[in-house]
Amino acid sequence: MVPSSLPRSRGRGLMRAPRTAALALAGALVLVPALSACQGAAVSDDTPAADGPVRIGVVVPLTGPVSQVGTALRNGLELAVKKVNAEGGVGGRPVEYVVVDDAGDPANSTQLARRLIRQEKVTMLFGTITGDTAEAVGKVADEAKVPFGTAILGDTEHCFPYQWGFGESTRQMLAPAVPALIAKYGTKVALVGSDYNYPRFYAGIAEQLVKDAGGTVVAREFSPLGQTDWQPVVKRLSAAKPDLVLSMVVGADAVTFSKQAQQFGLLTPRLGYEGAPLDADFYPALAPLVEGRTHTVRWSDGVEDAESRAFADSYRSAYDWKAPIPEVAGNAYFGVRFFLGAAAKAGSTDPKAVNEAIGAFRYDSPLGEGTRFHPSNHVLQADMRDVTIGAGGAYKVTKTHPMVADETPKKGCS
Amino acid sequence: MDVLLAILGQFGLYGLLTVGIAVIFAATRVVNLAQGDLAMCGAYAAATLTGAPFGTRTLIALVAGVPVLLLVERLLLRGAVLDGLAAMLVTWGLGMALRQGAELVFTGTARTVAVPVEGTVDVLGSPYPAYRLVCALTASAVVVLVLVLARRTGWGLTLRAVADNPDMAAVLGTDPRRLRTLAFVAGGLLAVLAGALYSPVLAVSPGMGFNLLVPVFFGLLLSRPGALGTAAGAALFVSALSVLLRTWLSDTLAEALFYAVVVAIAALRSRPWIGRFSAWFRRPSPAAAGAA
Repeated sequence: MVPSSLPRSRGRGLMRAPRTAALALAGALVLVPALSACQGAAVSDDTPAADGPVRIGVVVPLTGPVSQVGTALRNGLELAVKKVNAEGGVGGRPVEYVVVDDAGDPANSTQLARRLIRQEKVTMLFGTITGDTAEAVGKVADEAKVPFGTAILGDTEHCFPYQWGFGESTRQMLAPAVPALIAKYGTKVALVGSDYNYPRFYAGIAEQLVKDAGGTVVAREFSPLGQTDWQPVVKRLSAAKPDLVLSMVVGADAVTFSKQAQQFGLLTPRLGYEGAPLDADFYPALAPLVEGRTHTVRWSDGVEDAESRAFADSYRSAYDWKAPIPEVAGNAYFGVRFFLGAAAKAGSTDPKAVNEAIGAFRYDSPLGEGTRFHPSNHVLQADMRDVTIGAGGAYKVTKTHPMVADETPKKGCS
Repeated sequence: MDVLLAILGQFGLYGLLTVGIAVIFAATRVVNLAQGDLAMCGAYAAATLTGAPFGTRTLIALVAGVPVLLLVERLLLRGAVLDGLAAMLVTWGLGMALRQGAELVFTGTARTVAVPVEGTVDVLGSPYPAYRLVCALTASAVVVLVLVLARRTGWGLTLRAVADNPDMAAVLGTDPRRLRTLAFVAGGLLAVLAGALYSPVLAVSPGMGFNLLVPVFFGLLLSRPGALGTAAGAALFVSALSVLLRTWLSDTLAEALFYAVVVAIAALRSRPWIGRFSAWFRRPSPAAAGAA
């Protein structure tokens, strides 16, 4: 009985498939001319209307593994636009934004960025979390000559003329932190990271700064993303007997690594520990391991400045937020306000003119007095802060490093 | 000693998942691509029901898992089971639904589960986290129990019969439908148990199960359908290979070599002369000869 039913059911399946395919094909044939007609109309002129609103295209992952950080960025941006509109917009023009979800996939980011430029006629792009999606959007932005802002920490070796990063650069986060950590914990430093471009770039800069501060790098370990067993890595790190571990293990791996490092006796209160796992996003998962430690960041919700506090309060009430506010939200909030300030100065919605204005703009915000981009690397010259992580997730500022410079030239802009 | 303990720790996790996926494969000829995501569900049960002690949370996860797995099997796999590929796609879809569902309910941020047994124990001179040892031993014991059940009970015999030749088993009075349901629930529960047991050593996130799928899939690839012992052996081999390579080499190089070795073994196994050679060592049966 069983064998005879097999071919029959398969036969039915085969009959159904061509019919569905035929219907889909017919549908597509009807739709394609209609769609291309729409696109044709849109493509004819990419430039935004001169007297219309200022439009921001936001490419962020709202689904997928980094959706939480993407959502925080979107929230920060949303509040910034609300604030600017409440204050009268940009030179009298209202600000609008269009959010698209790239799910953290660079193939999506490229397409969505193109669509935002062509169909939505945005004056500027903002967003992305992971390095590969930032690069994808950066390329589109460069081709179309539309300014693009990011808010996540870290930078890349390459610089794009139309890309501007509001997150702290690797040098800015490490330069103030490394000498202080070496003085406090000791000179033997171990570097650990997820295995992709950025953590290796981070480790290269860290190694240089450790040497400059009189320390030595005793171990360097990289492990593929999605690692579930850190025992071999932790054992090798322990064998090097470090005084300090600088970690660029990212995402959920940051939690797994920190937990297993503690379980195997590496991560004790005597060991210095700095890097991605201390970010506010991981606090709910790693609270007991990171409390009492010092973390160097550009912005935290503990910044004691009226404007920053007002932003943090509005974030908490608008999104019913109880955990520490991710740094990326603050960087996005003040970053978008910087971009819009530059657009006001440009007095135009023309992306090229706005990009020129961004390069020359100076802006006072809780991120620093007279923050500006360095022309040779497009790194925002701004303050950095040491925050001490307290009970309940209070990221309290314990020291401010005013205007931490990063003027190292990069290919592409210098 | 460190290395042996690391292999044991890894085997507990991979063993439960691989034997679970092998039970399902034996009865249904479907590779359950949602196996890792079922483990994720177990881990979330351990991470969210924090009011109860850890053991109770694990039990709740298992008990709650039964009706859910039954429902999934009845609703989604009953019709599709006639076509292996369709059913595999259904399990892929189920996995995606579970991941997205977890992201919606629990957000994408990773969570942690407090370790139920604190401290370290001395194992022949090597200090080792106590809970890791407890969970590795528990998981291994469950794997052994499943193997004994498959060897010694009527259910195990039926499972092996259906794996070898489902048509013949049906003719001889076994109800393959019932067995398929039972196997899917049992295999799924092993995954839920793996997730709950290992949640205190891992980061609990919606994507965690997906990362576990590759080694488990390799384990299934290297085992013989219906022979759960070979699945456990393959899981042990995968764990040992991964741990040894990572002990001797850097993680990046170890991972590349790991894939190379597994793919090479899988390719070699499909060579006819290897098939003939290995057929010497087992009872000749039509299904086994077909699989080789």
